[in-house]
Amino acid sequence: MSNEERNSSTKRNAEAKQSPEVDLDSGPAEGSDTKSEGLIWQGPQLRRRTFLTGSAVAATTATTASFFPGLRMARAQESGPVKMGFIEDESGNLSVYGLQKLHAAQLAVKEINEGKTLKGGANIGTGGYGPMAAYAGMSPVISKEGVGLDVVGDGGAMDSTASVFVEDDDVFVDSGDQGILGRELELVSADGQSNNALWQQLTRRLIQQDKVDVLVAGFASAEREAIRPIVDQFNQLYFYTNQYEGGVADSNTFCTGPVCEQQVIPVVQYMVEKFGPRCYTIAADYNFGQLTAAWTKAFVPLVGGEIIGEEFIPLSVSEFSQVIARIQQAKPDWVMTLLVGQNHHNYYPQAAAAGLALPMASTVNMAQGYEHKRFAPPSLNQMHNAIQYQLEVPTARNRAFVKRWMDMFPEDEYIGEMAQNTYFTVHMYAQAARLAGTTDQETVKRALELGWAIEAPEGAVFLEPGTHHCAHYIRLAVCDENHDVHFVREWPMIQAWWLQRLGVNLIRHPEYKQYVPDEDPYFSMFGMA
Amino acid sequence: MEDLSVVVSILYQFGTNGAFLLLCALGLIVILGMMNIINLAHGELMMMGAYTASLAYQAGFPFPIAVVISFFVVGVFGAVLERLVVRRFYGRELGALVVTWGISLLLSQGTFLVLGPFLPSIPIPGGAIDVGQYSLSVYWLILIAVSAGAVLGLAWLYNRTEFGLHARATMQNAEMARALGVNTDRVYMLTFSLGAGLAGFSGALLAPTASIMPFMGQQFVAPAFITVVVGGASNVIAGAVGSSVLLSLVRTPVGFYLGAFLGLVALLLAALVIIRLMPNGVSAYFQRWSDRRSRPTV
Repeated sequence: MSNEERNSSTKRNAEAKQSPEVDLDSGPAEGSDTKSEGLIWQGPQLRRRTFLTGSAVAATTATTASFFPGLRMARAQESGPVKMGFIEDESGNLSVYGLQKLHAAQLAVKEINEGKTLKGGANIGTGGYGPMAAYAGMSPVISKEGVGLDVVGDGGAMDSTASVFVEDDDVFVDSGDQGILGRELELVSADGQSNNALWQQLTRRLIQQDKVDVLVAGFASAEREAIRPIVDQFNQLYFYTNQYEGGVADSNTFCTGPVCEQQVIPVVQYMVEKFGPRCYTIAADYNFGQLTAAWTKAFVPLVGGEIIGEEFIPLSVSEFSQVIARIQQAKPDWVMTLLVGQNHHNYYPQAAAAGLALPMASTVNMAQGYEHKRFAPPSLNQMHNAIQYQLEVPTARNRAFVKRWMDMFPEDEYIGEMAQNTYFTVHMYAQAARLAGTTDQETVKRALELGWAIEAPEGAVFLEPGTHHCAHYIRLAVCDENHDVHFVREWPMIQAWWLQRLGVNLIRHPEYKQYVPDEDPYFSMFGMA
Repeated sequence: MEDLSVVVSILYQFGTNGAFLLLCALGLIVILGMMNIINLAHGELMMMGAYTASLAYQAGFPFPIAVVISFFVVGVFGAVLERLVVRRFYGRELGALVVTWGISLLLSQGTFLVLGPFLPSIPIPGGAIDVGQYSLSVYWLILIAVSAGAVLGLAWLYNRTEFGLHARATMQNAEMARALGVNTDRVYMLTFSLGAGLAGFSGALLAPTASIMPFMGQQFVAPAFITVVVGGASNVIAGAVGSSVLLSLVRTPVGFYLGAFLGLVALLLAALVIIRLMPNGVSAYFQRWSDRRSRPTV
């Protein structure tokens, strides 16, 4: 399908699609209502009213759009470049991550302006390459007699297991567009300096003064929570591209990084299976560490493991001999390390030097801060992390991506998972705006809420429309004693299912909050909460 | 055997906690304790030490040599800093505070811009010794010994050498010292340079245990100031030793039995209580005690 075709057909689609989708104007009050009434059930009256208001608003919008295109253009300032607001920490404590993310955005913007894109589009669905599998020459043949389903013929015994590795086609293709809808995409970037107060100021400036068409920002959860109220105040289309603890249900926010259920559960399952049940958790003492530890605690018992110790470590601690001694005293089979920041990274060399050689699992370390590149081997030996991306993903599409990156930024040392998220997110925004036929923020949100699939360097990513979170291609990365990374198990698509479980559907019921595990009985249902 | 290994492990933890505080404080003992300059760039001087050591190590020097190189490189840098900036702020404590803070921002952000977000780390030398179910890092045992040695060396320098005598005289009464022929300008420069060098030295020693990053210095600043302030100004060296022993005495058992978070709380509480009870620091107590002992002989 040519791009023009797709644009014109989907433009109609996007406008028609508006009718069932809620009242844009009723604002946060409605959202908080939803929460206090209970998560899933809402009275029928409320629904009907919402629907009626919704369709009325949508009808007006649609009419306005088709009969007075000029009006809408004026509202969305559809001339000159498309402005993408971008805030990351280019200096300060978190700059080791922020710089990667800035480069990712710069690369994607350059590619978009050169008329390139990644394969993908609304609702195309996803596929995966390279799962772990048993193999034989051909698939088995089942007998046609009876119901016993006897295997009668085969292409050889399925006696080997291996990672089935497929070299996929490159996913980097022509967009048929220059920039977005013929307009150049301009990155308006600001440095958050690892300082939450500054993040708020910069967000206001980008929204009010620069009037950005889209905002891509945020590393730490504290930064995101600092700016989200401002984003909601202005109904700003906002992408948060980080891996995080999950739970943000916000009509204006699209979270494109993986969350706990996609990472903690696979890695915990693997660790219990491979190394044994006894788990000791050490986690950074702030919302990310606390919540991820709660996930670990909730899930370990379900796969037959037990938490024998759990410790939250203040971010200022940088000397770990006591933590190490406590772990040795507890004698776990493996350690869950959810350590964040430069001080905490010291744990790895110190633990290695103190002879603590236990297998480790994590959802953050290695893929983000590339500790395995920074510390001398074997500090990160036996580190396991269920990640959706890190530089070493061996597929052809990723090798091509890394090459494009290094051509632009030859000095860079590493491309971490957040950088890749930022990269495909910028491309995804461009695609959604093309499909919407406009950069009008509400229309682009509606286009994204069709459900969006994009062929990212990690593999296929699917933006789930109701929760604004992404299903990801998850791989279990293991670091060996030379600090080479191997991928030992793959899950071609894991849903971000927790918000769905809570009944969040932002299309029908706008919300503007972050759910925490305490609000879900799941977390105390099993085991030792 | 089990009990014995716990005892050994706790002693080791006590040693590492104390050595960490002492190493953080080493340069600050001289600059804050003796010159009364609130040097907020202390962490960045330690960062420079770690960077120098890492670069030297990557260039092929053995680690001990790299540590010595760091001492001299940061020491020379300290001398330059003193000549160009810090000397203009003697006697103006708040001015010095602000200007050193500015220097710290310049150093960390400048390092970030020039050398990027991190340097490859130095592998921790030495292995581990098993004690029952616990194990001790040989390198930390070395650090405990080195920090003790460094403090002894500092005490010797200030109490037994001519430079030490001149330095103490200058700090007590600069005018009188000048009248007696001491080149106080030179003493100030050398003292600041020595403090900077020691910060670089301990930064280099702690480098293998840390991520070598432009903003790594921040982690050392709070422990350094706590140690020196709790130690007090009457006798900085003895004070720093006393306060690091006292603080790790509190922190170690709490941290071991109740966790790192409460260990940190205990450390800060202890610092609070000590400063409240002994406003002039631990060393004022030592001083009074040693005054009582030495008075008859003087």
